[in-house]
Amino acid sequence: MSESIVRYSSRSRARAIKSFLSNLLGHAGAQLGLLCLVFFLVLSAVPNILVGPLETVATATGDFLVPPSSQHLLGTDEVGRDVLNLVVHGARISLTIALLATVISLVVGTTVGITAGYYGGRVDVWLMRLTDFFFVMPSFVLALVITPVVLEVMGRGREILGFRPSLFVILVVIGITSWAFVARIVRSQTLSLKERTFIDRARVVGSSNLSIMVRHILPNLVPQIAANGALVVAGAIYVETSLSFLGLGDPLQPSWGTLLSLAQRAGAASTGAWWYLGAPGLCALAVSLSFVLVGNALDDTFNPRQRVIP
Amino acid sequence: MPDTSDILSLESLKVHFPIQGGLFDRVLGRSAGAVRAADGVDLNIGRGEIVALVGESGSGKTTVGRVITKLAQPTGGRLLFEGRDMTSAKGFSALRPYRRRVQMIFQDAYQALNPRHTVFDSVAEPLRSLRLVKNHAQLTERVSEALSAAGLNPPGDFFARFPHELSGGQRQRVVIAGALAVKPELIVADEPVSMLDVSIRAQILQVLVDLRAKHNMALLFITHDLPLAWLIADRIAVLYLGRLVEIGSADDITFNPRHPYTVALRNATPQIRSDASRFELPALQGEVPSAARVPKGCRFHPRCPLAFDRCKEEEPPAIEVGPQHMSACWLPTSGAKAGLSTPNLKSADHGSV
Repeated sequence: MSESIVRYSSRSRARAIKSFLSNLLGHAGAQLGLLCLVFFLVLSAVPNILVGPLETVATATGDFLVPPSSQHLLGTDEVGRDVLNLVVHGARISLTIALLATVISLVVGTTVGITAGYYGGRVDVWLMRLTDFFFVMPSFVLALVITPVVLEVMGRGREILGFRPSLFVILVVIGITSWAFVARIVRSQTLSLKERTFIDRARVVGSSNLSIMVRHILPNLVPQIAANGALVVAGAIYVETSLSFLGLGDPLQPSWGTLLSLAQRAGAASTGAWWYLGAPGLCALAVSLSFVLVGNALDDTFNPRQRVIP
Repeated sequence: MPDTSDILSLESLKVHFPIQGGLFDRVLGRSAGAVRAADGVDLNIGRGEIVALVGESGSGKTTVGRVITKLAQPTGGRLLFEGRDMTSAKGFSALRPYRRRVQMIFQDAYQALNPRHTVFDSVAEPLRSLRLVKNHAQLTERVSEALSAAGLNPPGDFFARFPHELSGGQRQRVVIAGALAVKPELIVADEPVSMLDVSIRAQILQVLVDLRAKHNMALLFITHDLPLAWLIADRIAVLYLGRLVEIGSADDITFNPRHPYTVALRNATPQIRSDASRFELPALQGEVPSAARVPKGCRFHPRCPLAFDRCKEEEPPAIEVGPQHMSACWLPTSGAKAGLSTPNLKSADHGSV
């Protein structure tokens, strides 16, 4: 594209983006959600600067299960670690896993959905049966089955792409169990888009099937993908927290779910250590709620008539 | 045999869409029948010729256009391009040479443009996908050229616009520019002006006529509007329920129609005349039958005021009724030529259409 064209269209795009943002921020829920997300993203971006390196049993500074005080704003855990320190570091693990799993889910879901919807016929039938299979697959059971296998194959101490093996398993499991939802939405939108005249025109002017899918259908799906992507992240956080709570997390890279699991095992609920259970729990709740709020606002902005019920 | 001077010919082209029967039919292996959108259409288009395909909605005119542009696959008959059989050509790479020479203009210009593509992208798309340009400078040049030819001046002002920033007439010009950019030899225009204001129609038609004059481009103009067809076309073909009922020169069809259906179409055309009473158009009786239940015999006979016994039994072939003028009607053979002058069909004033 020549520079002049880029300049012209960037002006027009800038106007479109501006009006989109003002529409989006018109939703009170979107404002709250975005504010909350920015806060947690900052936490997970620079945890070391904010609260120092992740505390371990060896570097723990406080007494056991101390309630919140000026020294430990969120109290301490059963081995004397600062809960604030753990929660801030947990934000990084929780958000990274949720976002990466969402990327897997969106890429797979969009590819399968567009292909099934566009080609139709047998391709559609088989891809949608595959989707149905993944749709009903329980993520908990799958994770529990896969984790020991991966640990056995990879070895306990190794890291895969910077993740401890069990976290990597959680990430992959969330990815492969959540794409079916995306694939169905993308397929239904593709079915309606492919009947539009501009697809006929693209065919007449000689575009290949791949180019029609990538250049014509995909750009028109962005609103749906973005809105549902936000909902997928919310679901991913929930599943990640649950799986870690069941003990699939890794104590060396603790996520919020891992902290909840530790708190439960330390008997935080029965000893009245509400700060130990409450801090990671509220964080997980706040982040997934924020994503749902942003997702609904995106959905309303792009598509005021069709509401997706999360 | 295909005439070598014809750029395109259709030989008894059929497009039947099967109807999905109920469970009962399927268990018994019974066919639920088919919608016969096109049912034996023979049509030639010469180089640089403008042929209008006229018919009511549901007559199958759009289907014929879609077959020619390879958007629909015929279930019978042949599609010949310069004498070569293109009926079964499939796949975008196999069709690329054909696409370079046959392009299409769509009815609804807003729907025909991707809302997320700029005008430049839309017009450049055929040039890119048909590999007609080597570099970006050439691409920009061809796009500018096509936009000016379609009457969008100066072209540079339109490059970065999105379809929603354009008026209806401008959008249709963009679609035309996209088809022109390829420099095709045949354009299928499916009701290109029916969605436009009357004031813009003339300009768009002028663009199409100019193209023929400049590049000797053939045009298949699909419309439901007989006067419009007369205005632009050299020849007019009248389609009824998937079959051509009459074909001839534009003047013959308009002023000397021989098929009762063409006469009825003509008489149903509103005219602005001070002496005409406003709502006494001799409307056609009845509805167009469903293309899934085509009447036996002549398919027009249930609505035809002149139908006689033979019409109910035998389907009339195309009979030559004048030079280059064919009509699929039994009337000329029955010697009842005077029948066309019956009061309810006779048009009052030949020169006023």
